[in-house]
Amino acid sequence: MTKTYKPAEPIWCAGCGDFGVQGALERSLIDLNIAKHDVMILAGIGCSGTLQNNVGTYGYHALHGRVLPAATGVAFANPDLTVIAVGGDGDGFAIGAGHFVHTVKRNPNLVYIVMNNSVYGLTKGQDSPTMDSSAAEGLDSTRLAMSIPGASFIARGFSRWSAQLHELTLAALEHTRAGKGFAFLEVLSPCVTYNDTYASWESMLDNLDDDPNYDPTDLSMAFSRGVALDVEGRMPAGIIYRAESAVGKEAPPSMADQDLNPAQHLDAYRGIMASYAV
Amino acid sequence: MNVAIKPSASQDKAVSTPQRLLSDISVMVAGQGGDGSLTIASLLSAQFASRGLHLYSTSNIASRIKGGHAAAFLRASVVPTGCMGDHIDLLVAFDDEAVEKAASAMAPDGIVVFDASKGAPPEGVLADTIQVFAVPFGRLAVRDLGRDLLKNCLGFGLVSRVLGIVDDEAEASLRQRFKRLPATVVESNVDAFRIGLANADEIGLSEGVSPWTVDKSEREERLMIAGNEALSFGFLAAGGRFYAGYPITPASEILGWLQRHLPNYGGMAIQAEDELSAINMATGAALTGTRSMAASSGPGFVLMQEGVSQLGSAEIPLVVVDCQRAGPSTGMPTKVEQSDIGTMINGGHGDYPKVVLSPANQGDSFDIGVFATNLAQRIQTPVIIAMDRAMSQDSTTVKPFNLEGIFVDNAKRLTRDQVLKLEEYRRYKVTDDGVSPWAVPGTPGGQNLVTGNERNEWGLVSAEPVNRKKMIEKRARKIDTVRDDLPKGWRWGNAKATIGLLGFGSAGPILERAALRLAEAETDVQVLRPRTIWPVLDETIDFIRQCERVYVIEYNEAGQLAHTISGAGAPKEKMISVLKYDGTPFRAVDIANTVLKRENSE
Repeated sequence: MTKTYKPAEPIWCAGCGDFGVQGALERSLIDLNIAKHDVMILAGIGCSGTLQNNVGTYGYHALHGRVLPAATGVAFANPDLTVIAVGGDGDGFAIGAGHFVHTVKRNPNLVYIVMNNSVYGLTKGQDSPTMDSSAAEGLDSTRLAMSIPGASFIARGFSRWSAQLHELTLAALEHTRAGKGFAFLEVLSPCVTYNDTYASWESMLDNLDDDPNYDPTDLSMAFSRGVALDVEGRMPAGIIYRAESAVGKEAPPSMADQDLNPAQHLDAYRGIMASYAV
Repeated sequence: MNVAIKPSASQDKAVSTPQRLLSDISVMVAGQGGDGSLTIASLLSAQFASRGLHLYSTSNIASRIKGGHAAAFLRASVVPTGCMGDHIDLLVAFDDEAVEKAASAMAPDGIVVFDASKGAPPEGVLADTIQVFAVPFGRLAVRDLGRDLLKNCLGFGLVSRVLGIVDDEAEASLRQRFKRLPATVVESNVDAFRIGLANADEIGLSEGVSPWTVDKSEREERLMIAGNEALSFGFLAAGGRFYAGYPITPASEILGWLQRHLPNYGGMAIQAEDELSAINMATGAALTGTRSMAASSGPGFVLMQEGVSQLGSAEIPLVVVDCQRAGPSTGMPTKVEQSDIGTMINGGHGDYPKVVLSPANQGDSFDIGVFATNLAQRIQTPVIIAMDRAMSQDSTTVKPFNLEGIFVDNAKRLTRDQVLKLEEYRRYKVTDDGVSPWAVPGTPGGQNLVTGNERNEWGLVSAEPVNRKKMIEKRARKIDTVRDDLPKGWRWGNAKATIGLLGFGSAGPILERAALRLAEAETDVQVLRPRTIWPVLDETIDFIRQCERVYVIEYNEAGQLAHTISGAGAPKEKMISVLKYDGTPFRAVDIANTVLKRENSE
């Protein structure tokens, strides 16, 4: 086997929630028996934006906020790949918020895992858009996603709840790999250095996966539960919404592997040229 | 103002000379948007093409959907010109405003065909030497046929008599133009045309006694194509399969063209939510090994610049097109300018290798599209194509493209078998030519990390000084690797002439026309139209060194091209900037006069 790069050691602080995300992802890739060369992990900028270095797959470090367009380009150009975009809450919901809206709407076949800690850790602890502060209430990305036509898979995990996080990661990968489209998984992933919320977030969570009366295929139920919990100062976890009949944005067979020999298209090219003849 | 220039042959002739033969005619058809100026222009296009003439067409449309004053321009000539003429010979005016706008550009021996539905043409606007044929086409179309829109074909009847086009030929081209429409519609248009002929008879424009006739040239196979179309076609032909863009004038035609054609070849063109998304989506596709492109105009092109730096740093091949328009900021979206030269060369942050190419004319946009698509793969870095409003959107007749000559250069992309045979694979391996072998995602054993961070050969982040220096120099070497293969400029004129004219993009063809005028004034010049803007090639610097004086002619106020060239080592003292930034194209006559004035003062 060709020797290639040795996966890096994570740069995260001891106790960082991102370890849990990486663990769940690595386990899920093994569970699904996906070869590392068939996986492309794209990451945004921030602490979470180093995960792609640690797994041994193909990796791409995108520009700040642009991981979703880049991942969409990969998914469209080569649908044979398992495409996983990862990033932080600042990357996804501040500088990249516009792309989040349009990626949900476009529904490409890729998984998006946001490691939400409500702060910008790498730049030393500024508030992110999901921060509940005296100045403003934090943005709930799951309800934002629900409001966008085309939403096909919305879930929230908690990095301390590793068994569920593993299941949610698996479900997200399966959704995308089945061609149902964009699987969005927000993981509450506390920053132990600037915003240690393990205890407070755990007390706020309502695990929908444990509720036999909750139907994640019912969008209005998903919305009303989210709003009702918010009023109580709580938030949902688990699979929040899943569109059973979702169809991911179709792309042609891998463009990257096409035979580009121009000779095979000469007649067609002549046809195009003829349309300009005078 | 033409004192310095010998009058051209056509200006010598008296207005009343019967049957003046035009071998180079510029036509303007103007009215309110929706009047159908384009219909008459396209009917004339077909007529002129059938005579074997070379064509150039442009339009002047305010940046709004419908309404507003609109004009279509068409030049037909026995020799290829690639630009509009200095004057309008024939004006077809649907209203007073058309006459008022065109008056100063009219040739003194020109003809105006005027829609007199609302009265006579405005007084005192046109020179007395201009002949005017006024017929109320709009009113007649409504009175006799019940439809105002038919005034186009009615007007075409008059125009064809002015130009001495045989009635049957004119009618045939009209039937050809409308052949896809229902028969009744075709017949109404033909009826309108015939009413136009009848009215022509009444004002003395009978068949066979026209004031003008139009020359013929050798009929040969030609295309009539705009730069954006030819460029898109070149990208496709060179294996381009993925495109992302956001609508913007004057780049939108590229998105439209590729949305229409790429799906037929297993490709895809995406309308992104903004330019940031467009370039990053195209970058994502490029990462997989798919030949990709993004395009915009100035305002969107600057939004893409962080992405361009990323391509340069992370070593990702992408073609990025800037269809320049008059800036800064929103500027004048439908007007010509070449004021993004600095941005194209230095728009991104940091040091990174890049190539900026510029087609010499609309047809060359195909070749540049092919070349750029291959070059990006070869050196794994952004290749920027500098278009401008006129290059992008104006159409001209060009030779058919050499489809058999297209090749797809896979350069250092590794196949699966090649990777499997390797002992080890390093994405950013330092090589003599600066280019690292490339294993794309999905290739077993080729797993790698692509990043805009500085990194070591394995793709792992590294800020270690020795590595940093090595990596910066590796990337810079790519330009030296391909420098000799970059597209050379187009030359014209006597290579021993001591006076040079230099300009690129849509200014280029006008320089050749100016050189012809200068030759008439016994001033010998040579012309260089560079096609590689960055790096500045030796040919450009040598051109300036070898001339006594070089006029650098460009569409901006700061002399961006001149600064770029002198910054690369050309002697500044030999360069004289000739600049235009009012949104209108250069005229050969003005360039020639500027040169003569300066040369005569030496």
